[in-house]
Amino acid sequence: MPAAVPPRRRSRLRIAAALAVSTVLLAACGGSGEGTGRIVPDGRLTIAMAFGPGAGYAIDTDDAFVLSQLGVTEPLVASGADGRPRPALATEWARTDPRTWRFALRPGVTFQNGEPLTGHAVATALNRLAGVEAPPRAVRGIGLTAAPDGATAVRVTTTAPDPILPLRLSSANTAILAPSAYASDPPAVQGTGTGPMTITRLDGTQSVELQRNETYWGERPQLAGVTANFVPDPAARALALRAGDADIAQELPEATALEFTGDGYVNESVAAPRTASLLLNQSRAPFSDIRVRQAVAAAVDRAALGEQALAGSAVPASELFGPAVSWGSQEPPPPADPARARRLLAEAGFGPSRPLRVELGTYANRPELPTLATAVQEMLRAAGIEATIRVGDYDAREADLLAGRYDMYLASRSYLLDVPDAGATLRTDYTCRGSYNINRYCSPEFDALLAPLTARTDPAARQEVFTRAAAKLNADVVGVPLVHTRAGGVGSQVAGYTVDPLAKTLVVPGLAKTG
Amino acid sequence: MTAVLLRRLLALPVVVAAGAVLVFLLPRFSGQDTALAVLRSRTGEADPDPVVLAALRARYGLDGSWWDQFTAWAGAVLAGDLGISYASRTPVAGLLWPALGVSLVLTVASLVVAGVVGVPAGVRAARRPGGTFDRALSTGAVLGVAVPEFVLGTVLVLTFAVTLPLLPATGWGTPAQAVLPVVTLAAFPAALAAQLVRAETIDALGRSHVTVARAKGLSGRAVLWRHGGRLALTSVTAMSGLFLGGLLGGSVVVEVLFAVPGLGRLLYDAVLGQDLPVIQAGLLAVIVVAALAGILAELVALALDPVARGEAR
Repeated sequence: MPAAVPPRRRSRLRIAAALAVSTVLLAACGGSGEGTGRIVPDGRLTIAMAFGPGAGYAIDTDDAFVLSQLGVTEPLVASGADGRPRPALATEWARTDPRTWRFALRPGVTFQNGEPLTGHAVATALNRLAGVEAPPRAVRGIGLTAAPDGATAVRVTTTAPDPILPLRLSSANTAILAPSAYASDPPAVQGTGTGPMTITRLDGTQSVELQRNETYWGERPQLAGVTANFVPDPAARALALRAGDADIAQELPEATALEFTGDGYVNESVAAPRTASLLLNQSRAPFSDIRVRQAVAAAVDRAALGEQALAGSAVPASELFGPAVSWGSQEPPPPADPARARRLLAEAGFGPSRPLRVELGTYANRPELPTLATAVQEMLRAAGIEATIRVGDYDAREADLLAGRYDMYLASRSYLLDVPDAGATLRTDYTCRGSYNINRYCSPEFDALLAPLTARTDPAARQEVFTRAAAKLNADVVGVPLVHTRAGGVGSQVAGYTVDPLAKTLVVPGLAKTG
Repeated sequence: MTAVLLRRLLALPVVVAAGAVLVFLLPRFSGQDTALAVLRSRTGEADPDPVVLAALRARYGLDGSWWDQFTAWAGAVLAGDLGISYASRTPVAGLLWPALGVSLVLTVASLVVAGVVGVPAGVRAARRPGGTFDRALSTGAVLGVAVPEFVLGTVLVLTFAVTLPLLPATGWGTPAQAVLPVVTLAAFPAALAAQLVRAETIDALGRSHVTVARAKGLSGRAVLWRHGGRLALTSVTAMSGLFLGGLLGGSVVVEVLFAVPGLGRLLYDAVLGQDLPVIQAGLLAVIVVAALAGILAELVALALDPVARGEAR
C-alpha cells in the first residue's frame, strides 16, 4: 500500500506545482523586450523568417524575395507601394524607341566579390533570367532582351511596347548578380549580389549567415552581421522570439503578435496587396443575375469578418484594391443589410417557397479561408441563402473554376504580380479574354476602360485607370471583396524595422540592434 | 541467427522493389498536375503559361508513359543516381543524405532516450503492481501517449527556453539544440515502452523458471532484472525497429516546430511542391532504413530471447 503524503507536504507540493504552472503561463503571456533603446554599434541580429529558400536561392523563383529581404541583391529599379519607380542600380532611364528603354547604371558600383557593375553584367543577368524555362511573372511573355550600351548603360527591348518596363525591373527576380554567378544553375548567390549584406555561409533550408558589405554603394549598414533562420511554423517563430533566439519574427498571427507588448518590442502590421474575395460564377444561374450578386454583397458583413472572424488579422475590404497601394480604397466597406439582400432575392425569384441553395467552395492552404467561409455561410443564411461549404484542394478544383463549373468560391489572390502595377491582374482576371477570369465576367465597357494601359507610362495616369476599374467591378458586383490580408512581424530591441507589404525589403542599411 | 539473417537479406531486394513501385505510384494518385505544382512552387504562378507547362513536362519526362517514367527512374536509382530536384534543380542526393542524417540522429537519440527512461521505469513498476510508482507511471504513460507533440514541444520550449533560458528554442547543429526535439519525440515511445515492459515483466515474473530461480535463492532484484526485464526487452527491441522507420519520415511536427532540417520536413515540402524525385528517393530511403532496422531489431531480439532463438532454428 502506498505511503500517504502528509497534509502539509501535500499542500507544499500543490503550491509548488501552481507556482511552476503560473510562471510558465506568465512567461508565455508576456516577455521582456526591454532595453535602453540605444543603437548597438556594429550589432548583430537573428531573424526568424517565415519563408526559406525552396529552390536553392534561384533568382528566377520566389527565393529571390528571400535574397531581396536579406539585403543581398538589388534590381536596377526600386519601387514602393506608391507605384513609382525610383533609382537603384540604375540612376535614370528613358524610352529610346517604342520597344526599347535605356538604363544608365550607377557609377562605381561593384558586386560583393569585387566584379564591377557594367552594362555587360546587367545584360547577362537579364538575358539569363528571360531565358529560363519558366520565367518569373514580372518578365514572362514580354520577349525581354538586354544588350550593353557601353560600360555604363544597358538597353532593354521587348517584343511589344511595354509602358511599365521600369516597374517590371523593380521585381526581386530581376536583381542583378555578377556574371560569375551564372557559371552554375541555379546561379551562385554567395558574394555575387550588390546589396548591403553579403552571404558568408549557406546552411541549406535551415539558415544563412550574412555580414556587412563594406563596399556597399549606399548608406553604410548599421549591422555587422545577420543570421536568418528559416522557421516555417508561426508558433515556433513566436517561441524563438520569446526565448531570445530571434530578434525579429516575421509573419506572426495577429493574436500572437499582440502578446508582445513590452517597451522593447516593435510590433509591425501593414495591409498586404492581397484580397480574399467571394468569386461568383456569372456564366450561369443564379449569379448571372446581378440582383443575386447584389444580395450576396449586401448580406456579408465585411467589418465583422476582418475584425471578429479573423480577430483583426485582416482589413475589411470595400473594393478589390486596399490600403496596401496608393490607389487602393481607404474607405470602410458598406455595412451589411440582410433586409435589402432578402428584397433583392425576392425580386430575383427566391424566397421561403423557393430558397436559394448554392455551393461555397474554398481551400485550406490559407488557414483564414475556411474560417471566413464558415462566417460567410452564417451571414448568407441570415439573408435566406443556404450555402453548402466544400473545402478541397485548389489545384484539383482549378479546371472546374476556370471552366465555370461552380457557384461561389472563396479565394485569396495577390493583385500585384511582383511589381506595383495592377494592369496584369486586371487583364487576366476580369477582361472577356482574361486567362484567369474565374468570375466569368465579360464587359466590353470594362475592357475598353483598360485599353489606355497599353500605352500609358505615367504611374499616376495608370493608377487613375486602376481606381476606375475597381469602381466598375464594384458596380457590376464582380465577386465580393471581403478582406485584405495583413503582413506583420515583431522585433525585439531593434531600430529601423518595418514590414514591406511587397515583401521585398527587411534588412536595410538603417536596421540596427538596440541595447 | 545466421539463417535468419540470410533469409531476411535475401528478402530485402523484394521488399525494396515493391517499395519502389509504391513510392513511384503513390504521388501520381494525388490528382495534381506535377508540372503545374512545380511551377507554382517556384514562382507562385496563378495563371501559368501553357507553353511553359508543356516545356516543363518535356524537360522532366512527365509527358511520357508511366512505364517509361518508372523504368527511367528505377534504372537511374540502380545506377546510384537519385535524379535532380524539380524545385531546387540540384541533385537529390545533396538534399536527401544530410536530411536523412539529421533525422537518423534525431530518431535514434529519441529511441535511446525512450529506452533508457521507459525500460527501467517499466521494470520498476512491475516490481509492485498497483504501487505508488506503478500508478504514477501509468498516469505519466497515458499523458506521454495522449499529449500531441506540438503541445508537449511548446510546453517544453516555454519551460526550458523561455522561463528558464537553458536551451535554444529552435535550430539544429549543437547538442543543446537537440535536447528539446529529442525529448519531445521520445515521449511517445518512452511511454509505450514503459507500459510494454511493465506488462511483459509482470508476465515473465509469473513463469515457472522464475519461480525456480527464486527457490534457488536468487535475490528479488536479480530475478526482476535478469529474468523479467531481459525478456521484456525483446518486445521493446521489436518495437524500436518499427518505430525507427515510422519516426524517420514521420517526425514532421517535431521538425517543423523546432526548425530541424530533417527528412520529415524535406518530404513535407517536396509533397507540397510535387517534387517527385525528392519524394521518391526520400520514401525509398525510409523503406530501406526501416527494413534494415527491422532485421537488426529481430536479430537483437533473438540474441536476448533463448526461446525464440530455438524456435528460429
